[in-house]
Amino acid sequence: MKWSRGTYNPPGTDNKQEDNKQTDDANVPASLQHTLDNFKDCTDLIHHTFPEINVNLVYFGHLVGSDELFRDVITPLTNVRENEVQALLTRNQYKLTPDSKSLIKGILNGQAAIFHNDKAYLIDIYKPGSRSIEQSETETVITGPHDSFIETATANLSLIRRRVKSSHLKVIKLEVGEVSKSTVYLLYIDGIANMEYVRELTDRINLIEVDAVYDGNMLIQYIDDSPNSVFPLFSTTERVDTAVSKLVAGRIVGILDGSPSVFAAPSSFFEFMASPDDYYQRWSTGTAIRVLRFIALIITLTFTALYVSVTTYHYEMIPEALLLTITESRSKVPFPPIYEALLMEITIELLREAGARLPTKIGQTIGIVGGIVIGQAAVQAGFTSNILIIAVASSAIASFVIPSYVMSASIRLIRFGLIIMAGILGDLGIALGIAYLVVHLSGLTSLNSSYLTPVSPNNFNDWRDVFIRAPFWALTRRPTQSRSPNAVRNRMRK
Amino acid sequence: MLKVLRLFLTVALLVTVTGCGDQRILERLGFIQTTSYDLAPRKENESEQKLMISVTIPRPDSGSGSGSGSGSGSGTGGVNREFLTAISSTSKESRIILSRQTELQLVSGQLRNTLFGLSLAKQGIWKHIDTLVRDPSISPRVKITVVNGNAHDLLTKNYPFHPRTGQYIDRMLEKESLSQIVPKTSLYQFTKDYFDDGIDPIAPIIKEVGDSVKIDGIALFRKDRYIMRIDPKQSIIFALMRADITQGEISVDLSGENRNNEHVTLSSLVSHRSVKVTPRKGNFHVDINIKVSGSVLEYIGVLDLEKNKDRSTIEKLVSQYIRTDAEQLIANMQQNRIDSLGLGKNIRSTLSYAKWHKMNWPDTYRNIDVQCHVKVQIKDYGMFTK
Amino acid sequence: MKEKLHPFHISVLVFMIQAGVVVFFLPRMLAQYMGYNGWVAIPLFSVVATFNIFLISIVYRLGDGRSIFQIMEQSLSKLIVYPVYTYLIVVWTLLGCIAAKQYIILFQVFVFPTTPIMYIKLLVDIIAFSLIIKGIYNISKAATVFFWMVIWTILMLTFFIKGFEWVNLTPFFFKESTNVVVGSISIFSSFLGYELVLLLFPYVDSKKGFMKAVYFGNFLTTIVYLSISFVCFGFYSFKQLTKMKFPLVDLLAYIRLPFVERVENIFLALYLVTSLMSITMYIWAATETAKSLIPRANKRWITAILVCCAFVVSWIPNMLSEVELWLKYLGYMALGIAFGLPLMLIAILVIHNGGKKIA
Repeated sequence: MKWSRGTYNPPGTDNKQEDNKQTDDANVPASLQHTLDNFKDCTDLIHHTFPEINVNLVYFGHLVGSDELFRDVITPLTNVRENEVQALLTRNQYKLTPDSKSLIKGILNGQAAIFHNDKAYLIDIYKPGSRSIEQSETETVITGPHDSFIETATANLSLIRRRVKSSHLKVIKLEVGEVSKSTVYLLYIDGIANMEYVRELTDRINLIEVDAVYDGNMLIQYIDDSPNSVFPLFSTTERVDTAVSKLVAGRIVGILDGSPSVFAAPSSFFEFMASPDDYYQRWSTGTAIRVLRFIALIITLTFTALYVSVTTYHYEMIPEALLLTITESRSKVPFPPIYEALLMEITIELLREAGARLPTKIGQTIGIVGGIVIGQAAVQAGFTSNILIIAVASSAIASFVIPSYVMSASIRLIRFGLIIMAGILGDLGIALGIAYLVVHLSGLTSLNSSYLTPVSPNNFNDWRDVFIRAPFWALTRRPTQSRSPNAVRNRMRK
Repeated sequence: MLKVLRLFLTVALLVTVTGCGDQRILERLGFIQTTSYDLAPRKENESEQKLMISVTIPRPDSGSGSGSGSGSGSGTGGVNREFLTAISSTSKESRIILSRQTELQLVSGQLRNTLFGLSLAKQGIWKHIDTLVRDPSISPRVKITVVNGNAHDLLTKNYPFHPRTGQYIDRMLEKESLSQIVPKTSLYQFTKDYFDDGIDPIAPIIKEVGDSVKIDGIALFRKDRYIMRIDPKQSIIFALMRADITQGEISVDLSGENRNNEHVTLSSLVSHRSVKVTPRKGNFHVDINIKVSGSVLEYIGVLDLEKNKDRSTIEKLVSQYIRTDAEQLIANMQQNRIDSLGLGKNIRSTLSYAKWHKMNWPDTYRNIDVQCHVKVQIKDYGMFTK
Repeated sequence: MKEKLHPFHISVLVFMIQAGVVVFFLPRMLAQYMGYNGWVAIPLFSVVATFNIFLISIVYRLGDGRSIFQIMEQSLSKLIVYPVYTYLIVVWTLLGCIAAKQYIILFQVFVFPTTPIMYIKLLVDIIAFSLIIKGIYNISKAATVFFWMVIWTILMLTFFIKGFEWVNLTPFFFKESTNVVVGSISIFSSFLGYELVLLLFPYVDSKKGFMKAVYFGNFLTTIVYLSISFVCFGFYSFKQLTKMKFPLVDLLAYIRLPFVERVENIFLALYLVTSLMSITMYIWAATETAKSLIPRANKRWITAILVCCAFVVSWIPNMLSEVELWLKYLGYMALGIAFGLPLMLIAILVIHNGGKKIA
């Protein structure tokens, strides 16, 4: 099989309905009438006629750029005479489109259709309105590039192309969604990425049966290996530098038109703990921060659970100096620790959710109301112990240290499981919960590669860029997970 | 199908099983902090010697603030403690009696210190320690302390400057044992020495004096029976012989060395001891080499600390002082047939198994020839010259 | 199965099967049975285990990487093979369930003394089950994570450098040993587990690295056992050690950190994973055997049935002493398998290959 740029359509991947429609439309020759019938009641469709030269022009005004429209279509057409039209339309920016289906698709994709003498031509003057490139809200860094992806896929492509000036950067264009017909671009670097992954991912995207996909994070749930898992199996990012680094590492990056979240595959659990900041700081600082993040992971998962476990079962673990403080703060609380902890954890989640849904200005009020009023009042009213507030708050803070929001949400959910386990069986419950988590994790795969790479399968070489951030001279190899045919960095086979 | 079954089973289990019966919810517990063991005064027509066992349970001060009080706990009242006493024939039986006296569930996982009255210690304390070691909730770090007098009385008393007696004693011992001059006798240490045939256990002794408790030296045991006491003044000497010291102070009255009204205080003592055993026809010669270095912060006398010669004179005098006391102590211990220094361990290391067991160690110990070699070094003598 | 096991995973797997609850009382067994300086015996046992692994490696070489079931079935009649299979299934299933039970009973000595054992056991079994059905490759992946979760705790031994006394070791070797033969077998069974690599033949990656990895796994176990026992012998006096039920737990209880005390509570729970791996691997082995016994059966259901059987059987022994007794006899049987099975296979292969040559 030959792999080249362009759309890959494996046989038999489209569903039946699509097939019928395809044959219907494909057989219908492109005609103005048929097109207009198809877009009946689409009042946003613009239909120009140039009766003097027998030309009809059909397009969506809001999808095309007015400059391009005038420069490439209106101006040439008004300047020619009828006998010259044919010659004009043979220029290669006008594409002759014989069948109706591609014509309609073209119009929907922001091309202008020109009808002349029973023939239809398309010209790409797509320029959708979009917001400007801004800083990412969800993944901020202190140093490093501040641009991030936006909703327009072509703009995103351009952002990546600008950073990878190589003809080896290949782009596959796919379509997803029966109704929405969203475009998905799969990017990979030829010679670095493993083509098996590219093939697998293309197949999976082609097999998606869904009306519409709205976001990259949604898309990956249709294509990852176990949709039932709590964990995101493909990483997503809004940051251009992150996406480029994944490309260079030999992963495949997917851009969904209409979403600023770009996904990369395959991914491992530990990849979610990395932030671009690690690379922009000196390696010792980067390592320290990375280690801190793993500590944060442990704190998030187990801190509240340990509180419950210790106060319910393992009182002897408390050092003498803390014993009375904890006992005293617990003494007014009317509930067993497990209920107390769940209550506070849920409150924190409520606060977080409310803060996330509200505009920033009101969101701050939530912080004050939640943090000060509820926190203080709950302790004073003897509703919770202040030690618990510390535990809950620090594990909440720790959860936000995890750079990926999706991952941090998963971890927070798991934490509830561990808290309940701790309330039932103490430390043993926590151990059982973690054991189950590990069992679950070890069954997970991302694009058929182990989700727990590089811990298992074990690869110490990779540890240098996972648990620490080794100096750049030591990072000579691409991650094993990407199974790159060109595993040594900085060396491209020609 | 299996998956659903599995999920169902797990959830069903988690809902139904909870370690309810085994819950130890913090605020419902009475943490025994210190336990004291004494011989109960024998009543008439009672053949069995009963035990008097008391426990203290520290409790957060609940009396000061009414419901509205914040959790800050910095109330002026400090912290109360609960004090319970029972008389019974075994220590675990007493737990049952004790627990009838309180609304809290008594637990011993936070036990820090055990006090044994002198009269009980003389009878042997192993059977009580055995119950402590057996209980999995009790830490091997629990301290063992002998009370010169009645342990119950010492514990029951409230010392005006030290709101919680149990903790007060515990912290004092902790602080003192930092320098190793007062031995850190934990359950682990005591058990270890008790079962070792080359050493006898020791423990600190405390005593009540008016408004406070003071450390009253070191108790030496033969097996688990209290035999003799080392005076606090000589504790440092004993410590120097028993182990390496990382920090300590010694005050020497040189009048014993024919120099009247001369006093030296050495502080920041660091010592190193080594034991050398030389077998000698059915007997052993043991050399204990002690190297001590410290700084002189106080010297009252005629010598001039600035002069090298005078300093070495002081060094010699102090060495002499330590040696005399040390050898006297050893002679004393040999007389009582207690090998608290663990010389047996050292001798055992030089022997074969058969020889060691053929020899009756406690008897041999009496006759071994022990010599101390002390070398004192003055590192510095303060930051002010005369 | 597409994925193959890498040598490192084999080592980890071997270590995780070998190490189990036994580390908690191994030092005491050494003191009781081997006497003074019993820790010295560990390398000796390790050498025996290494020899046994050598036997296995001969099977591997002669058999050319075929699974042992293929080897047996090609030259023995089903009448002989089936009882052997049944024996293997029974012993391995029982070992799996009793080892788990032992861990839980031990845990109950310290925490949850009144919670029904079988409830906890069921939870553990469910986790084991969900691991077994994921296949050996995923089991090894989980084993690796568990390995990293557990192995760092060996660093805790550095805590005892200060309390360690060379004089406690005494110059006597193996004096006051009792029941040396029975004791040796008991101690040696703590090394058992490597015999399961017999079943890994079809799943391994490289030919050369495989056996080396098994040796290394055994070596790792030896190092861990040795360091724990050595520290125990130096930290406790000999007679004391013989009287301590679970020296390692006591050792851990002695550790005090500024923010937490009595860490044995955490470690005891953490070591669940080593037991979990032992159960998983033994029942996995039983499943593999059962699969060759009844080739048409569904693997998941076999696993489910075996786990259920194991669960039901583990109702029977109730006290720690009973469990220890069961384990003792199961240990004998496993020992028989560990030596007997490779020897039998070697015999088969030699006869078979020899026959070929003659023909």
